[in-house]
Parts: sequence; structure tokens; C-alpha cells
Amino acid sequence: MVESTNACGIIAMKIPAFRVALIATASFLPLSLLLLIVFLVLYSWPAIQFNQFDFLWTNDWNLGNLYGNPVSVHGQQIMPGARYGIWFLVVGTIVSSVLAMLIAMPIAIGSAYFLSEGVRKSWAGPLSLFVDLLAAVPSVVYGLWGYALLVPLFGQTIFPFMVKTFSFVPFLNGSAGSGYGLLTAAFVLAVMIIPLISATLREAIQMTEPALKEAGLSLGLNRLEVFWHITLPKLKTVLIGVGILALGRALGETMAVLMVSGNALNYLPNNIYAPISTMAAFIASQLDSALQDPTNMAVEALSEIALVLLLITIVVNITARLMLWMERIR
Amino acid sequence: MDGADTLMATKALDDTLVTVDKVTRRFRISLWRRLMTVMAWIFVVSSFVFLAAMFLSIVGDVLVHAWPALNLKLLTDITNGIGGGLKNAIEGSIIMSLGALLLAAPIGISAGIYLSEHGQGGAGKILRFLSDVLVGVPSIVLGYVGYITMVIYLGWQFSVAAGVITLTVMLLPYIARSTELALGNIPLAVREAGYGLGAGEGRVALQILLPGAAPAIMTGLFYAVALSMGETAPLLYTAGWSNYMWTGHLTKEPIGYLTYVIWTFINEPFAESHMLAFAAAFLITAGVLILILLGRWFLVRGQRRTGAYQS
Amino acid sequence: MLYRLKKEISRSVKGAVMLSALGLAGLYALPASAAPTISLLETGSTLLYPLFNLWVPVYTKMNPGVQITTQGTGSGTGIAEAISGVAQIGASDAYMSDAQVKMHPEILNIPLAISIQMINYNVPGLNNIHLKLSGPVLAGIYSGKITNWDDAAIAKLNPGVKLPNHKIIPIHRTDGSGDTFIFTTYLSDTTPAWSKSVGYSTTVSWPAVPGGIGAMGNPGMVQALKTTPYGVAYIGISWKKPVEEAKLGLAKLENRDGKFLLPTVENAKAAAGEMVSKTPADERISLVYAPGAKSYPIINYEYAIVSKKQAKPEVAAAMKKFLNWAIDSKGGNAPHFITAVNFVPLPESAAALSRKQIAEIQ
Repeated sequence: MVESTNACGIIAMKIPAFRVALIATASFLPLSLLLLIVFLVLYSWPAIQFNQFDFLWTNDWNLGNLYGNPVSVHGQQIMPGARYGIWFLVVGTIVSSVLAMLIAMPIAIGSAYFLSEGVRKSWAGPLSLFVDLLAAVPSVVYGLWGYALLVPLFGQTIFPFMVKTFSFVPFLNGSAGSGYGLLTAAFVLAVMIIPLISATLREAIQMTEPALKEAGLSLGLNRLEVFWHITLPKLKTVLIGVGILALGRALGETMAVLMVSGNALNYLPNNIYAPISTMAAFIASQLDSALQDPTNMAVEALSEIALVLLLITIVVNITARLMLWMERIR
Repeated sequence: MDGADTLMATKALDDTLVTVDKVTRRFRISLWRRLMTVMAWIFVVSSFVFLAAMFLSIVGDVLVHAWPALNLKLLTDITNGIGGGLKNAIEGSIIMSLGALLLAAPIGISAGIYLSEHGQGGAGKILRFLSDVLVGVPSIVLGYVGYITMVIYLGWQFSVAAGVITLTVMLLPYIARSTELALGNIPLAVREAGYGLGAGEGRVALQILLPGAAPAIMTGLFYAVALSMGETAPLLYTAGWSNYMWTGHLTKEPIGYLTYVIWTFINEPFAESHMLAFAAAFLITAGVLILILLGRWFLVRGQRRTGAYQS
Repeated sequence: MLYRLKKEISRSVKGAVMLSALGLAGLYALPASAAPTISLLETGSTLLYPLFNLWVPVYTKMNPGVQITTQGTGSGTGIAEAISGVAQIGASDAYMSDAQVKMHPEILNIPLAISIQMINYNVPGLNNIHLKLSGPVLAGIYSGKITNWDDAAIAKLNPGVKLPNHKIIPIHRTDGSGDTFIFTTYLSDTTPAWSKSVGYSTTVSWPAVPGGIGAMGNPGMVQALKTTPYGVAYIGISWKKPVEEAKLGLAKLENRDGKFLLPTVENAKAAAGEMVSKTPADERISLVYAPGAKSYPIINYEYAIVSKKQAKPEVAAAMKKFLNWAIDSKGGNAPHFITAVNFVPLPESAAALSRKQIAEIQ
């Protein structure tokens, strides 16, 4: 902003036209999210009033008798027998996303290292296509691939093998299931988010100061040790940042999970191979039936689920920011 | 010197030499480190091989199923009943993605510029936080909210406008983040040079920073388009589906798109429908592949021009 | 010289690329000819979707002034969009409930055809014989009370068959589905305990059975059954071929008269014949568990949900013409359409009732 005096000596301020225009255009982003939240809250208000806190920790989702006559419960019109409890969804969403991150992170870091320092530069370009193009595949196709190829493979070969080998580990033993379940869903989610993490990491690895790496090499560390002890700690901020983006994607993934997770209803998984349900997939599968509810309470309950998912995303983001802040303090 | 002295001296010398030898020989890389290095290399290589295998498996599966349907008819016929071509779907996908890009690019790039230039303050932190939260919203929620607000409440019915706006909201955080990263890579000195020469904020941003970061921003835009072409849920409830080519209306007229074909035609009991679904999957993957390659080519070309390319 | 040549080639390549891009754009960018066509939007049941897709190309060729777009979204969506006016024709496997009709008295439920449902299973060694199952047994399986294939209840229905001692895996639809609607109607009609606890609807609160799977769509059901030995699933009749190709078992179901029948067209026609006389004028009736010795127990009307009041008279006229063609036995209900999806054509008296309803569209 520049001050200028005109003939009368009055200081006239130049309006920062660019900055105003910038802020005006940029504000559509937060505005759209805030409008979304406001809409969801207003729309699901009757459901929020009806469900209160039981919504979060009961395992009882029932759309009620859609062919009966609406009754009035707690001052709200609902179908007889309708109850909305989503604890199994909360557990399913969080556990599948965390598991997906646990699987994805090491593989993404490993392949990012491989592509940035492990091969000759001339090969790195074409080889990295294998990883980047995984991002090009639509999520529906992931679902199709999952239920046509992965589910039979896992259910008939890999899971029984795992059950036999890990029969002493609590969550990994028990029934091998059918292939539709938590581990399969987490696996597909992991393959979907790895390209995101890997691409960002590759760039970041290539940007780290060569001086640091050379210092490590000169001390007698080999390349891998330089990476592990020197580069990776420097990348913690980037890792956390991209991890949040990837976790967000995993939490919101609908189609692929819908086709391989087994879609558990009102129960929690007793081991890692059992079916689960995630909030996003559940909304997608229940929406059609919910539209048949003449009192509209079912759809409002679904949008309450969306609100809870948003809440979880916000909590995850806050936690990540806290972690970043603690890193900076050190 | 007599013989005994020489012998003692030689022996002392020998001893020292042996000690030095012993010292150098003791300085070896421990077994632990060797083992860890080998295991680490195996892990690194196998993680890449694993990803390559996944990629080949998915693309191979799609290709194998799509092969019988891949002929020129795909590009020239419209979807007709249970078979036909994909002309209307291809056109629809392109129109929606371009439309979403047209709307999302200015907003996203502005947000990115704001974040990178003024993003250290409180407003910047809030913007970044909200942007990250927006990434986590499931696409079905965006689609249904779009249905209630635009299709029903505003009376637009299934329309290009509703679909484009929903896609835009989905893409905004990705474009903002990649623009911020791209601008962050430009050294501070460039900005200082600009300001030092008397350029205003607008000039610095638009005529100095953006051209410099253009290749990286374009890569971000291409990734965003790739994302938008692969989405089904937000469009199911806003753009609907049409068996016919676009009539040019922005509202009250549904439109087709490739992902719908995949999602719905797979659910039909006819083999021709399945082939069409896989053909659509193949087209999307191939289209996005071309986009990503184009993005890379631009990036490399831009980097070569500015001398920043590390080859 | 070589440099100039290279420049020329690259320039002409660029030109060729631009020209072909323009050409392709021309092929696509021109908006469809703006002749005054009427466009109809049909959305809804995925069970009726394949049949609509067979109808539309033939009908639109005969009637070039009409454009019909079909969508397979789900019965609930079909009803909702017919009510809100976003779609002209909503397709649904389930008729509207009394409460819905009270709220929207202008909506018609018009049957267009009759569909059948199969009960399939995957028991190694027994897929080629037709195991006999009944409503109470299925209700027991899906509520977790009957856990093993060699349970006494199943053995009683199948004397002489060596049933394996293995857990049963019930597979249900996770998305809102007309198939779930008619399956749960069958369970409710045959088993009072089920009717009291779970009831019937396009989606129900399935009792938690360990190992039970929720699959997406009929293809998802076929795939889940294929990959899960000892599973049982309910699948729409249009998927008979994929089921046979996967060598899955087809069960004989017990009907109201105690006979065990296969889901053939004759058995379905017999059931339809029994129920047609009971069909009320608004045609909202369940055809499940029909009386009669030869009646297959799980069949249903496939409905077109339309509003009596349409926005424009031309649209109403176009809809009436299309719907009348659809139920005509020489038009949409002709054998080559109906048998392609393994449905049953609408009996004449039901078609007459449908015609009366169609006439009410303005």
C-alpha cells in the first residue's frame, strides 16, 4: 500500500485493489465449507434433537417400519421402530483409515526413496509412472478390482494362511472370513492413498539440502542410513502434512470401500478379517432407502452422520497441527 | 649394533605394525548395520515392486475386460440402451471437468497465492485448516447437498451447472495446496527483487511469481482434473445422466459422464453393458494418463527454461 | 539444413495435432440439433433398468420426437424424484406406502411387468440338485437362529440329502433394494417372528449374524456368493445366466400350499394369475406368497411411479403414449423383451387396470 499526497497535501491511501480481489476470490474456499457445515446442521437439526448423544455410542441403526404409519416420539415424527445409533460406523471408519495409513506410510516412504535416490535419474521418470498413475484410476475401478480380484484371493488363500501363522495374536486369529472385511478395505484404501504420499515425498526428498546428505556420507554412513537418520527426520513436517491429506481422503472414500468392506450392520468386527462399515460408504448405501421415509427423518439422520464425519476430520486436523507445533518447539 | 638389539628393535617395530593392523581391522561395519542395510534395501525395492504389481494388476484387469469393446464406435455412437458407444459420456466428462477447472482454478490459485504470500498470520492458518477439512468431506455428501440446494431448491433440476459447482468445491483444496507449494519453491530473493524495483503486490504475483511457478501449478491443475474425472457420487445426484449429447443448456438439462457408465452398466446382466463399463474405465484411465504425462512434460520444459531442471 | 527440416517437421506435426483436435472438438462441441423434442427422464429401480434399456432404443426409433434417458439409481430415488418432479417416470420394485400416498395423493403406481426372485446358495457338492428351502428356514438363517447347513430344520425339508456340517453365511443387500423388499416380504409373510422383529422394507436392520456379508447390487450378490462357499443369497431373476455360469445352486421354495417350486415363468404366471383378481384399482399390492399349488412365492409387480399432474400437456401425452406401449403385449410386453430379462408379462386384467391409471396423467 502506498501513500501519496495530492495537491492539497491530504494523504490519500491507495486501495490495495489486488489484495482485496485476492481475498475476495480466495474466500470462496472457506465460504463453501462453512456454508456446507451450516446447511448440514440446519438440515439435520430434527435428527440431532431426536438422537441426542445416543447417536454416537449405540450400535443400533434401524430405519423403522417404512410401510407403517408415522408416530411421534420425543416430539419428532418418525417411522415406528426407527432408531439411529452409529458407533459401529465410527469404529469402522477410524480403524479402517488408521490401518490404511499404517500400511501405506512405510510403502510410500520406501517407494519414494527408491524412486528419488535408489535408481538412476534416467529411469526414475518412467518408473515413477507406475506409482503416479495409481492416482489416475477412478475409485469405482478400485472397488471393481477389489471385489473381483482381491476378495477371492484374500478370502481363499491369504487370510487362512495368516490365521494359521498368527494364531497366537489376539486380533489376527479367529475366523478367516470371506475376504470381505476390514483388512481388505484398508488394503484398497492404502493403495489409493500411496501415490499421494509418495509423489509429495519424492519432491521433498529431492529438495533436502545436499550438504546434509554429503555430511552424512562423509561420516561413513551408507545412502540408506543417511536417509533414515538424516533426511527422514527433516521430512517429519512434510510427512505429517501429507499424511493428513491422505487420511482425509481415506476417511471420505465411498465407492471402493462399499464394494469390499462387507458392510457390517450394527456390530463391531471381532478380528481384522471381519466385515466393517464406514460412514461415507454407509451414507451412499442407505441414501436410496432413506428417501422412502415420508417423515424425512432418515435422510436427516444420514446428514447427521456426515456432520460427525466432518467433526472427526476436524479433530484429526487439530491433532496433526498440534503435532507439528510440538515438532517446531523442539 | 649387535644382533640382540636389532632383533628387539625389529620385534618392537613388528609389534607396532601388528597393533596398527589390529586397529584398522577392528574398524569394520558391524553385522547389525550390514543386516539392517540389506533388509532395508529389500524393503525399499519390494515396496516399489509391490506398487508396480498393483498398478499392472488393476490396469491389466481393466484392459482385459475392455479389449473387446475398444473400437472406433466408442467415439462416434451415443449410449443406446444396453450398448452403443460412449460419445455422450466422453463429451459430458470433458465438459464437466473443464467447467470445474474454469471455476476452481481462479479461486484455488488465489487461495494458494494468499497462503504463500500472507499465510503466516492467523487468517492464513484458518484458511489452511479449513482447506484440509474440505478434503475429508465424502463426495456423496457434496453430491447430496448439491441435490438439495441446487437441483431441488433452486429448481435447476439435473444440470451441468449443479454438477460443475459440486466438482469445483471438491477440487478447491487440492489446487490451493499445490499452488501454495509451487509458489513456496520460488526463492524469496525473486520477490524482493520485484518489490525493490517498485512493483506492486499485484504485479509481483501475476507477472513474476505465477509465470515462474506456472509449470508446477499446471501439474496441480492436471491432477485436479484427473480427480474430477474419476468421481461418481457427486455427479449422480447433481448432473444426473443423459443418453444424449449436451444441448448447450446449463440448467434443467442432465448430462452424461463416463464414471456413471462404469458404476451403472456393471450392474446390468448383459455382457455388452459390462464391456462398455470397462471401456469407459479404460478411457478414463488413459485420458488421465495423458493428462499426467502432459503435466510432466510442461513441468520439465518449464524447469529447463528457467534452468531449474535437475537431470 | 537439417535444422530447418526438423523445424518444418515439428511445425507440421503441431499443425496436424491442432487440426485433429479442432476436428474432434467439432464432432463433440456442436450442441445436439435443437429440434423441438420432448425429453423424458426415467430413474429408479436397478431391477427394471435393464428392461427400460431394452425398450428405449426401439421406442425412440419409432417415435423420433421423444428422447428418453434412463438411469439406474434405486427404487427410493425413483419415488423421490417422481414426487419432486425431477424425473417424469420413477421406476420402483416397491409400491408406495400408505403414509407416502397420503402425503402425495397425486402419484400413481403403475405396474409395467412382473419380476421374479431366486434364492441361490453355494454348497460344494450340492449345487446341482435343487435344495428345498422355506420361509421360516430362511428367516432362521438370516436371523442367526439356524447356523449350520445340517440343521434339523433344513434336513427335514431335504430328506435323504447329505448336508455338510458347516456354518451358513447369509448374504444380504446393503444398498436400498427392491430385492430386499420382496425377500423380506416373503420372510414376514411366512414367519411371524420375523415380521415382528425385523419387518420388510427396501432396507432393514439385518440381525447381526457372525460372518454375514452385505453386498452391493445384484452383481455384488453373485460375486459374493461365488467367492463364499456355504453362502446363501437372494438374487433377481435377470441374473439367472451369471448364476448358472458360476455353477451356483438354485433353491426350490415352499409356497403357501406347501409345495416346493423353482422360479420358472410358468410358476410365476400361476402366482400372478391368482393375485391379479385381488389387485385393487391403485394396483398397490404385494404378489408375494400367493396361494395356489403351482404358484412361485416370490414375485412382484415392477412399478412406474408417475405424477398425475405433469408440467406440460405435450410431456403428459408423450408419457401416456410410452407407458401404453410399454404394457402392450405387442409393444414393451412382447416376448422378446420380457424373456431377455426373464420377467413375466403383465396379465391382461392387470394391464387393463394400468391403462386406466395411465389415462389419469394430465
